[in-house]
Amino acid sequence: MEVRRPGLQTTVQDAGRRVRALGVPGGGAADPLALRLANALVSNPPGAAALEVTLAGPALHFHADALVALCGASFAATLDEAPFPLWRAVPVRAGQTLEIGGTARGARAILAVRGGLEGQEAFGSRSTDLRTGFGGLEGRALRAGDRLTWASLPPVTAPRAFLSPELRTPTGPHHVLRVLLTPEATPDLLATLTGRSFTVSGQTDRMGARLSEVVPAPHDPNRVSLPNVPGAVQLPPDGRPILLLPDAGTHGGYATPLVVASVDLPRLGQLRPGDRVWLRGVSLEEARGALRQQEQEVREAELALRWWYKEA
Amino acid sequence: MTRATIERLGDAALVVRSPLARALLTDLTTRPLPGVREAVPALEVLTVLYDPLEVGADTLTASLRERLGGLVPGEEEKTRTHVLPVTFDGPDLGWCADHAELGLEDFVGTLCATPLTVAFLGFTPGFAFLTGLPERLRMPRLSAPRERVPAGSVALGGPWAGVYPRETPGGWRLVGRTDAVLFDPWRPEPVLWRAGDRVRFEVRP
Repeated sequence: MEVRRPGLQTTVQDAGRRVRALGVPGGGAADPLALRLANALVSNPPGAAALEVTLAGPALHFHADALVALCGASFAATLDEAPFPLWRAVPVRAGQTLEIGGTARGARAILAVRGGLEGQEAFGSRSTDLRTGFGGLEGRALRAGDRLTWASLPPVTAPRAFLSPELRTPTGPHHVLRVLLTPEATPDLLATLTGRSFTVSGQTDRMGARLSEVVPAPHDPNRVSLPNVPGAVQLPPDGRPILLLPDAGTHGGYATPLVVASVDLPRLGQLRPGDRVWLRGVSLEEARGALRQQEQEVREAELALRWWYKEA
Repeated sequence: MTRATIERLGDAALVVRSPLARALLTDLTTRPLPGVREAVPALEVLTVLYDPLEVGADTLTASLRERLGGLVPGEEEKTRTHVLPVTFDGPDLGWCADHAELGLEDFVGTLCATPLTVAFLGFTPGFAFLTGLPERLRMPRLSAPRERVPAGSVALGGPWAGVYPRETPGGWRLVGRTDAVLFDPWRPEPVLWRAGDRVRFEVRP
């Protein structure tokens, strides 16, 4: 696969790494559900490496036959100028060009290739860490002229299935994010954070999504640095909350009154500047119940696709 | 008895605060608990990230308390000592010496004579929070962080000393620089130091 146009920020991502104890961010696809579903569609293991596209996608010229799937925000895409469908496995012939354009809602999509993308592995993951510069393709976003390879497997017939729209990570412009309170959530702070909506600012990348509105932030210069967790809502002294994404630093010194529930983490990867966000407090039981339900639906889809490939 | 508190941090992490935090990390590394994805240390803190589909917060809290009960204080991994050659020519060196009410040479001498310990890793790959600074060497952080701190910069900030592994923004006072490679994902042990290791700066001849 040869990159004709790199898009705004296209990187190799997989399920990420688990070496935060070494100060290395988790990384991995910002919308991990899109990664799992795209991989399931092309019969890859759930965490196989794929391309993550952001806001404006790349143009990719294929030098070999491939089976690909594009899942995530509703990007406009064409294969040799014919409309290219999302959420299904599509065979691509050598010589064809896949052009992924922009999207009106959401921010990211995953392009999985059957066989899984090859690339630099570091700490058990091929995910690109842009900040330190390792993993994936030399630790950087794609450039025109780059070539990507994948493990070559015997050809298969693509399943004729579309995935249910219910499985898609919701995209904007309005988001209600379920959050859990931490011991740092004072009643005043909680009222300010959950009693209003926020706008996603332009300062939004794979490290975090900054919100535009200012809330009164507690100032504690003696607060020690503590480990960060995915989805933490940090409150820096300037009062503009930050929602942490996969490339966030491993430790932080800012107050963390809220944490986004695991079930809504994929949604953080679809936040787009200008989207409106509401934070809604939920109990641990509600969060766990919602996660179980989501997991069950995704597993059913994965099983159905696995069965299809086995029978085909 | 050990003092330990365990708090929830969202639906997929617990924060253990205990003087035995590092011993607990070692224990979890050798005998993993079901559902635990990874454990991340800070100063007398261990944040345990878990899969809520595999284990509940209450069950995991109970398991962690049981583990803590079986640990003995002072039982830690063998530590190593790193001696880092430093060129003391940082832009804040003079300011820091004045703040410590020492001459340049005495300031550098005092810093190099201070045995430091890696409290924990974090911030950026290879960065270590070094503890052990005497009161007079503790420097207030800059009021506005520098946008770019060169890689290898040796810095002081609050109770900490540190070395920036790569060019990043930073709010600590820069006193010198070292060529030590703190992070290299391609060597067998990518990060130079581990929590608990001893560190000493020495003047590069």
